[in-house]
Amino acid sequence: MDNFKKKFVEEAFDLIDGLEKSLLLLEENPEDSSIIQKVFRIMHTLKGNSSMFGFSKMDQFTHELETLYDDIRNERVKVNRGILDVTLDSVDHLKVLLDEDADNDPATLKRHADLLGRIAALVTKKSDDIVNSQVDVVETIEEVASADSGVRTYYISFEPHEDIFKNGTNPLYLIDELNTLGQALAFAHFNKVPSIDKIKHERCYAYWEVLLATTLDVNSISDVFIFVEDECTLEISQVSDINLLSEDKFVATIKDIASTRKDLGISEIQKLASQVKTAQINNDLANINKGKTKSKEVVISSIRVSADKLDQLMNLVSELVTTQARLALFAEQNNVPGLQPISENVQKLSRQLRDNAFSIVLIPIENMLTRFQRLVRDLSKELGKDVVFLAEGAETELDKTIIEGLTDPLMHILRNSLDHGIEDAAVREKLGKPKQGKIVLKAFYSGASVHIQIHDDGAGIDPEKIRQKALALNLITADKKLTSKEIYDLIFIPGFSTAIKVTDVSGRGVGMDVVNRKIADIRGEVEVDSEVGVGTTITIKLPLTLSIIDGLLVSINDTFYVIPLNAVDKIYAVEHKELVDKFNNVIVLDGVQIPFFYLRKEFGVEIKEVTHEEIVVVKYEEKRVGLAVDSVVGEYQAVLKTLGRHFKAQEMISGATILGDGTVALVMDTNKMIKSFLIDLDKKLKE
Amino acid sequence: MAKTILIVDDSESIREVVSFTLENEGYKVLIAVDGSDALRFLDGTPIDLIITDLHMPNMDGIELIKAVRGMEIYQRIPILFLTTESQAAKKMEAKDAGATGWIIKPFVPAKLIAALNKVLR
Repeated sequence: MDNFKKKFVEEAFDLIDGLEKSLLLLEENPEDSSIIQKVFRIMHTLKGNSSMFGFSKMDQFTHELETLYDDIRNERVKVNRGILDVTLDSVDHLKVLLDEDADNDPATLKRHADLLGRIAALVTKKSDDIVNSQVDVVETIEEVASADSGVRTYYISFEPHEDIFKNGTNPLYLIDELNTLGQALAFAHFNKVPSIDKIKHERCYAYWEVLLATTLDVNSISDVFIFVEDECTLEISQVSDINLLSEDKFVATIKDIASTRKDLGISEIQKLASQVKTAQINNDLANINKGKTKSKEVVISSIRVSADKLDQLMNLVSELVTTQARLALFAEQNNVPGLQPISENVQKLSRQLRDNAFSIVLIPIENMLTRFQRLVRDLSKELGKDVVFLAEGAETELDKTIIEGLTDPLMHILRNSLDHGIEDAAVREKLGKPKQGKIVLKAFYSGASVHIQIHDDGAGIDPEKIRQKALALNLITADKKLTSKEIYDLIFIPGFSTAIKVTDVSGRGVGMDVVNRKIADIRGEVEVDSEVGVGTTITIKLPLTLSIIDGLLVSINDTFYVIPLNAVDKIYAVEHKELVDKFNNVIVLDGVQIPFFYLRKEFGVEIKEVTHEEIVVVKYEEKRVGLAVDSVVGEYQAVLKTLGRHFKAQEMISGATILGDGTVALVMDTNKMIKSFLIDLDKKLKE
Repeated sequence: MAKTILIVDDSESIREVVSFTLENEGYKVLIAVDGSDALRFLDGTPIDLIITDLHMPNMDGIELIKAVRGMEIYQRIPILFLTTESQAAKKMEAKDAGATGWIIKPFVPAKLIAALNKVLR
C-alpha cells in the first residue's frame, strides 16, 4: 500500500496544480460552467483518493470544498472573489496536508480549522456525510460482532423483471453468489417462458426459489441483490433457525414437491420447516474455494517514470551515440565484408533512439504556467494593479532540464514587468490605455530552437535613460554610438538596474544580469525590445535540448571543431587568396557581400599556402557571417560534454565532444565567438 | 482464458489500486483514462467487464455507459461504476443509463472483489 500512497501523493500534487490552474481560469471566467465542472471534478477525485489512502484531514477538507463547489455547480452560490481567495488558500493548505509529517503541527491544525470555518461560512447547507460515513463503519463492526454463529435457513424468491439483461446483469451469478453465502438449494422455474415463436432472446423469463442456510442475516442476503433491487421482485424470509438443508429427509421432500409442482411457496416450506424443528443442528459452512490461478497480462497506455531513470537513459543514449561514431570510423577504416551495412544500420537506429529518448524528456511549458499565473494574480493584487496574464503556445515542448532552469528567470522577468512595466490603473487611464494591464507569454518553435516571449503593455524602457545610467556607471563612453539593441543589451551587464525605486518585489539587487546568466546556463539567449509608452518584449531563445546536438564537423590546422547545425546557413569552397590580404574582411558569395572571419588568423594559427579552403556561413543575430575553415568534414551528432572549470571564463567554446577515434572536438558557440571577434576588432580600430 | 476487465478512471492512483487488485485475482486488465479513451478498446476487443469512474474529463462515466450499451457486441456486458456514498442521485442516473452495479469509494480490495463477483464469474 505504501507504494500506492507515494503514487497518490505524486498524483495529488498534479491534481492540486491542475486545480490551481483551473481556479485562476475561473477567476477570469466566473460563469464558465465547464471550468466549474472541472474544479468540482478535481476536488471530487482528490476527496475520493485521499479517503482511499488514509489522508483523513485532506478527505475532510476536500469534502467541504466539494460541497461548496457542488453548490456553485448547481447555481446555488455564485463564484466571487471571496470564494476564490479561500479556495486558493485552501489549495496551498492541501499541499501541506499531503505531507503526513507536517499535517499535525499546531500551525497546520489551526490553519486547517480556520479554512474549514471560512468554507463552511460560504456553504449554503452544511453537509453531514462525513459523520455518517464514520457511523457506518461503527455499525458494520457491531453487526459483525452481534451476529451469532448459528446457521439459519432462509427462503428466497427471486423473480427478475423481463428486461434485466439490459443492464448487463446475469441473474445466474446472483444465484451463484447466494451459494457462496452458505449452503443453498435453488429451484429454477421456466413455466413463464412463452412458446418458441414468441420468445425474445433478450428477455428473462425464468425465476428462482432458493433455500439458503447461512449464518448471515437478511440484510446481508439482500445485499446480493443490491444492484438489481429495482429490476426484480424479491422476497427473503427466515424459515428456520437451524440448517434445514442438512436434513436429508427435508431435502428429499422438497425435491419431491419441486418435481411435481410449479412453485414451492413459502407456506409449504414453513410447514416442512416446523416438522424438522426438533432435528439436530449441524453447523457446517460451505467452503469457498477461490483458488484461481490465471495468467497475468496488463495493457497500460502511459507510465510514470522517475526523473533519475530518464537522466540515466539520456546518458546511455549519449554514450551509445559516441560508441556508434567509433564503430562507423572502424568500419570505414577496416574493410571487413558486411561491417559497413551493420554500422550504417546502427547509426540509423541510434539516431532514432536518440530522437525518441529526447521526445520522452520533453515536457510542455504548460507545466510552469500555473506558477506564473499565480504570481501575476498575487503580485498584481499586492501592488494594487489590475493585470491579466495570457499564455500562447502552452503546448510547446522543451527539455525538462531547460524548463527547470527557466522557471526562475521567467519569474524574475514577470516580476519586473509587473513592478516596473505595467503602470497603475490611474496612470494608464490618463495615458488612454485600457485600465487592465496585460502580460502575454508566447512560446513557439523557430527552427531547432524554442522562443519564449514575454510581452507587457506597460511603460516600456526608455533607451536614453539606460544610456545615461550606463554613462554614469562608466560602462560606455559619451562619444560611442549605440544601436537600440546594443543599448538594451546594457541591461544585462552585472550591477545595472534602471529601477529608480527599489521595491520589495523586484530590484532586490539581483537584476537582469542574473536572468541573462541563468538563461546562458541552459544555452539560451535573452533579447529585449521596448517602445516607450507602448510596452516591452523580452525574447528568450532556447535550444530544444541540452545533451546532443546536430553539428557540422570542420577542421582547422588538424584540429576538429563542431559548428551547431542550426546556426549554419551555407557552405562555400573559396580560393585561399580570396580570404587572405582582404583588408575589410568581406567576401562576395552568390553576389552578396558577406563579412567573414578567417579562423586560422583569429585562433592565432600559422597561415599556410593552400589552394582552396571552405567558408561556413552562419547566422549571427539578423545577419550572416562567414567563418573560414580548412575544410568541412561532414555532419556529426555531437554528444556535448562540459569543459572543465578552467575553461569557464571563455564563452566561444560551449563544450566538447568525443569523435569516433577518441579525439576531442570543440563545439563552437558561433554567436558568442563572433561577438567576441567584433569586440576585438573594435578595440583594434580604436588603437 | 483470463477474463478481461477494462478500468476507466482519470485518477492514476485509483487505476493502480484497482488494476493491482484485479491482476492479483488473475484478471487481464485494460486501462483507459477517461470515457473517450475507453472507446478505443471498444472496437471488438473481447471485454468481460467495465469498471468506470463517473466524474471524468472529456467523456464521463454516464456517457460512456450509454455509448457502450449502444454497441451491439457490448450490449450485455456488465458495467460497474465507482462512486462515493454521497452521490445517490448519480447512482440512479447510472443505473438508468444501463450500469449493472456500483462500487462505493473508498473501498478495500475485498469490497471490490465482492462487487465483481456479483456480475462476473
